[in-house]
Amino acid sequence: MTEHVLEASPVLRVAGRNSRDEVLNVATSAASLPVVAVGSTGLSALEPLVLATQNRQTAFYESCTPQRAADLADTLDNGELDIEDADAVIEHASTPTRLPIPDRSPLGVGTRTVLGRCGWLRPTCPNDYRASGGFETLTADGETVVGAARRVTGRGWGDAMADTSVGDSWKRVIDADGDPAVVVNAHGTPSDRLLLESLPFLPLEGALAAAQIVDASDVIIYLSEADNQAHERVTAAIENLPQTNAAVHAVTGPDEYRAAEPTMALEAIEGSQRLEARLRPPQPDIEGIYGRPTLVHTPRTLAQIVHATSGAAPTRIVTIRGDVQHEATVELPADGSLATAREAVTVDGTFKCACVGGQFGGLTPDLDIAPTPDALGAAGVGTEGVIDVLNEDQCLVAYIGEQSRFAQDENCGRCVPCREGTVQLTDLLREVYDGSFRPDAIEELLRVIESSSICAFGRDATRPVATGLDHFEDEFAVHAGGQCPTGTCTTELQHEVSQ
Amino acid sequence: MSSEFTRTDVPPLTEAIQPGTATDPTIGSTDTATVTVDGHEVTLEEGATVLDAVTAVDTNEDVPALCSYDREDNIGPRSECRTCMVETDDHGLVPSCSFPAEDGLNVKTDATAATEARDVNLDLVLSNHNLRCTTCGKNGRCELQDAAIATDVEEPRYGVLDDRDAYEPIDDSSSFIQIDRNKCILCNRCVEACNDVQVEGVLHMEGSGQDTRIGFQNGAETMADSTCVSCGHCVTVCPTGSLVEKGIEDAATLPIPGFTQKNSIGQSFESTDENKEPMTPMKQDDRSETNGPTSTNTAGESESESELEDWP
Repeated sequence: MTEHVLEASPVLRVAGRNSRDEVLNVATSAASLPVVAVGSTGLSALEPLVLATQNRQTAFYESCTPQRAADLADTLDNGELDIEDADAVIEHASTPTRLPIPDRSPLGVGTRTVLGRCGWLRPTCPNDYRASGGFETLTADGETVVGAARRVTGRGWGDAMADTSVGDSWKRVIDADGDPAVVVNAHGTPSDRLLLESLPFLPLEGALAAAQIVDASDVIIYLSEADNQAHERVTAAIENLPQTNAAVHAVTGPDEYRAAEPTMALEAIEGSQRLEARLRPPQPDIEGIYGRPTLVHTPRTLAQIVHATSGAAPTRIVTIRGDVQHEATVELPADGSLATAREAVTVDGTFKCACVGGQFGGLTPDLDIAPTPDALGAAGVGTEGVIDVLNEDQCLVAYIGEQSRFAQDENCGRCVPCREGTVQLTDLLREVYDGSFRPDAIEELLRVIESSSICAFGRDATRPVATGLDHFEDEFAVHAGGQCPTGTCTTELQHEVSQ
Repeated sequence: MSSEFTRTDVPPLTEAIQPGTATDPTIGSTDTATVTVDGHEVTLEEGATVLDAVTAVDTNEDVPALCSYDREDNIGPRSECRTCMVETDDHGLVPSCSFPAEDGLNVKTDATAATEARDVNLDLVLSNHNLRCTTCGKNGRCELQDAAIATDVEEPRYGVLDDRDAYEPIDDSSSFIQIDRNKCILCNRCVEACNDVQVEGVLHMEGSGQDTRIGFQNGAETMADSTCVSCGHCVTVCPTGSLVEKGIEDAATLPIPGFTQKNSIGQSFESTDENKEPMTPMKQDDRSETNGPTSTNTAGESESESELEDWP
């Protein structure tokens, strides 16, 4: 094997997340050519995905069985590329630094800037990453990096600068008193987990670049204790980082939704037994981890900064799941549309609407929305980068009720509007089943929870209900009359919210 | 939780205390500031909050700021009840008790959204409060009652806690302090009085969502099994009848025979009457066993031990 995988030819790559290992083992023992494990592409429908490369050609074999992989390896060992049976074949430069993209769904959907190296490099091999153009941000001109940070808005609810310019936060950290720190909040979202598992050096590079700019002495990668693979990969990657002035640590927090909230992330990193939100202002960039000025960014944000530094236009990564056959994580250009993400999946049944923006996303029957904070905000949906597809069998009154109950059960318990408000909200929704639908009372409560909760948990928790009423008020009225249009809430009209 | 990233400079006296609450940043302004509230100008010292300005003038609307406590620097702001919301030109609705008094800030207490937020949040506090004022020892000197009267609450939107199955038993196990969690509004003053003022480390916040409650750091179910020294600071800061001094727990009750604070709930942890000392048996054990398993809770207090032994 050459020093990095990009130079290897012939080579057989096996990409995937969970089902990869058996294919890898069988193929390895069947052939003498290099068989390498690369990260997931984010497209579970394709995986395990075998990529056979030889003579400036790469052949794709989707959902590959171990036997087929062994045959392919054997064929390639004999100097031949099995083109006839391939799902796609692409001609490319001699050492492409990115996964070549076939003109077919789902890999061909959207763009692949940040995700470009996922499924092509060995995730924890620093030479692969460096040979692909990695770590250049660390030697880039400081002004260029800061300019990139100004152009990038924070991605995800775990980012302390969600939907606002990251550069402002960097400036506050530089101006604040104390020894700065950088927290990479990778807790809880599929696309952040994908980056840590498949291309951990990319967010780490962004974090180290940020640490250089703000002169931080610690970089802390924070992730859920349930994300074992991401934890292993990022720990291995940390060992192989270029030397900088910052010490890099990996810390896990509880596998609970609220633990991703930026200040609860700080609490978890500090070892608090019970997680609740901190008051703001001042924001963590003035007083954060152990009182130090602290940047809190998601891996997605940091990855965007790396690419923006080299001149790429910011994109948005979205994971589409729910009533679809296979979850898919795709990347969309800022001038694109969320509707494009639908092309990457097969919807189970008929598309009814989608909950856009994660756990507390907004419901919308129309996905033709540009993936920018402004456009998403105008459509009333969330920016978290997850689209949950709901098909025609889904009862929205039941769905919204469950979101409300989740908020009631999972909030930290600190502030009244969130702790008590979500209880009353769930009760008001349950009253619909008793024939009493009071939209004015629901909307008054939503306004107060949204405007007076301490953190984004409470603010966002109102979104499924508010958008549900906007688009599907008729379904509530029909339920109040004793009917469930989808037949989900049958005979006694009870859904699980009543518990 | 893995924690290779930890801090080493915690003062030894407090390192074992775990109040269960977030470490909030420094609240308040970083400089002197002049703020306008309902048209009145107020100039405030460094460290001031918007609530300091609100309380300094005669506002158009009442701002209950129920959970705030201004008599001790070590207590609050918790900013949990959100009955102090006011509108500002620059930041929209803000919780006045924990928002810095920025120079030039224009504050309105009577903006529609602010009044609505305070009213709804007060009703939300009441929705989880056992509102049997007539059997409550704090009837007439209760901050929640005062706030409800001042804001003309006739009938709370969401009702009140009135479900015998949902009541928590009254903790009457201590000879000095009674706890009725059905009246607790989770303002956290008692936890801060216990940890940040008295440095006793007895009380903490525990649970989340609807299960959030004031509990004991040693894991005990009752006050008698906690490490309480009966200093009583928690009682003095409690805004409602949740923590009351024993002996006067029925002081303000309507004199109707058979109608008491305790039987309004139905269940209680009773005192065994064996311990008449201010320190609970757990605390006494703590002090006699130098290397006992719970002795870390009082780390650093051993110097004052002889002094404390002279207590009655």
